[in-house]
Amino acid sequence: MAGGDSVNPAGKGAGKAAATTAMDGPTTEQLVTLYTNMVRVRKLDEFMVSAYFSGKLAGPFFHSQQGQEAIGVGACTFLRSDDYIWYTHRGHGVCEVIAKGLPMRSFVAEHFGKATGSSNGIGFINTCAPELGIFGMGGTVGGESTLAAGVGLAAKFRGKQQVVLCFLGDGAMGEGSVHTALLMSANWKLPVVWICSNNGMGMWVPVSVAYPKENVADLAFGYDIPARIEDGQDVATVHAAVQVAVERARSGRGPSFIEFKTCRYGPQVEGLGDYSLDGLRDPAEIERWKQRDPIKLCAQRLLEEKALAPDDLERIEREALAEIEEAEEFANESPLPDPSLLSTALYAD
Amino acid sequence: MREITYRQAINEALHEEMARDDSVFILGESICHEQWDTHAGLVQRFGRERIRDTAISETAIVGAAVGAALAGYRPIADIMFSDFLFCAADETLNQAATHRFSNGGKTRVPMVIKTAMGGYGSGGPMHSQCPEGFLWHRPGLKIALPSTPYDAKGLLKSAIRDNNPVVYLFHKMLLDNTGRVPEDEYLVPLGKADVKRQGSDLTVVATSYMVTMALEVAEQLEAHGLSVEVVDVRCLEPLDLGTILASVDKTGRAVIVDEDVSRCGVTAEIALRIMEGGSRPLLSPIRRVAAPDLPIPAGHLERWVLPAPQDIADAIGGAMGIKEPILVKGASAEPGFTVG
Repeated sequence: MAGGDSVNPAGKGAGKAAATTAMDGPTTEQLVTLYTNMVRVRKLDEFMVSAYFSGKLAGPFFHSQQGQEAIGVGACTFLRSDDYIWYTHRGHGVCEVIAKGLPMRSFVAEHFGKATGSSNGIGFINTCAPELGIFGMGGTVGGESTLAAGVGLAAKFRGKQQVVLCFLGDGAMGEGSVHTALLMSANWKLPVVWICSNNGMGMWVPVSVAYPKENVADLAFGYDIPARIEDGQDVATVHAAVQVAVERARSGRGPSFIEFKTCRYGPQVEGLGDYSLDGLRDPAEIERWKQRDPIKLCAQRLLEEKALAPDDLERIEREALAEIEEAEEFANESPLPDPSLLSTALYAD
Repeated sequence: MREITYRQAINEALHEEMARDDSVFILGESICHEQWDTHAGLVQRFGRERIRDTAISETAIVGAAVGAALAGYRPIADIMFSDFLFCAADETLNQAATHRFSNGGKTRVPMVIKTAMGGYGSGGPMHSQCPEGFLWHRPGLKIALPSTPYDAKGLLKSAIRDNNPVVYLFHKMLLDNTGRVPEDEYLVPLGKADVKRQGSDLTVVATSYMVTMALEVAEQLEAHGLSVEVVDVRCLEPLDLGTILASVDKTGRAVIVDEDVSRCGVTAEIALRIMEGGSRPLLSPIRRVAAPDLPIPAGHLERWVLPAPQDIADAIGGAMGIKEPILVKGASAEPGFTVG
């Protein structure tokens, strides 16, 4: 399961998809940036989990994304600022929005329910930063997918080669809205890259229980969308695969679908047990995935290539922790939103 | 002043707003030759990029409209029958209605959902419904439901220019009605009720096709010495409660008429708002006319369910304390629209 093979999902018929791809990995400099971002979001995710348990969050949950960092970071770090992203509840988009350029303080303050948060303190899971192409997320699984198609249509109208990345979990593939959005994107050749993080579990239901197929990319391929399956643990692979799809979208050739195989280390949501371990997934399997932890894999490569020294790894972690500390202080000191926001937020003038 | 049909009025609004603003476009299923013939000449003039036929997917139509609106366009999501809007409940009620609020007021969703409402065509429960009660229940949407050609044009133009999601409900039975519409440009602002008939004994507050029916009844009751004022709400959100209260304060009596089922409906909400907001004691309890709590039957039994002129006359007579029923006639309750 943890293999890094690129597979043509629909078997022999998928030759068309493979033929369009020529993947170049990131430069060493880019890989260092990707590594740094993965450390930043891992540490921030760990902080969010501890903040949840210490009662600091303004909302009732946090859905840790630990183990899946390579996907959001690899996909979003080198996008244009005017490209759009739609993230999911996993990590509340921590990997995607931070890699897209959102300051940590906006993310933390929003989760603390403060007026300085990215959605002025009433969005919680909604990170809203239109200047970065981020319009929040919503709350229904897959519910953003048709909106992503619509943003893709707007991008196509505008003609400035903007792209839309829409992140999904494997669990979203059960939603009709996702399929109808895929269909629309294919039919109108919209510049949308569908990125499915397949961690094998929709809440506590394994893919093998929910779907007749192990590979959800097969479903997209049915809509004539080039679909690939890639290793979601290797940030260099993610970066390269997404770049190919992004270039395809920018040049007006339409959507792509990439399924990244990955693992959710934790439970569906913090505070509840990991019921998936109750006979649905083998704890040893998670341990095997952790051997291919995205941060560990990337660090090994950077050390082997002597792009970074052990001191550098320590420094990167230290800087990430300092950034989080600053974000926490900022959030702590920020005011609560004024109730007047309730009357101004609903309707625009 | 010239007279045009309600259908032509809708069509003119679309032509004018699409010519005025390049960011306006329409998407929906079979809209180049739209079911209700409100799109005449649009595809010839604006092309298939801006008059976009889609797959039969209300979910994608409304959801894509929300996305395009967020990204700076002014989409019109065309939903053939308002009954079908429920297929896009998540996109309408969760996404469009709450997006701006859920993101701290940082976004705008300038879009219109244009859809045909109402019964009297014997079309059965999934081609005859009135969705305004459902929609009004959800904070975040604006709702316009015009009863005349003048309002149909002016409200649609305002809806397209509004920076919020507006559900524009046109009634199938009104499409062939004619009325005065100026040639010069005008807007009807969202959130302004209109007194369609002056009266002094009782106020009828009505929506959409029920305004037409109430006016027909009010004319007949005049001969019986009753002076009935008819207030057309025109928009449920924003609701112009001021105009309604001013009328009821003047007459002291109110009958609320809406075609939707009565339970948790528009009639109940408006009645309570009158009781909460009025400045004088009412002369009689508020009465309402709405469909009973049933699905809309297809075929001949429909007329036993949807409001009829006699129902309105009875409610008015009851509120006036008149013991004997005043019989009224009403072409408006006869099965009317056809499709295809």
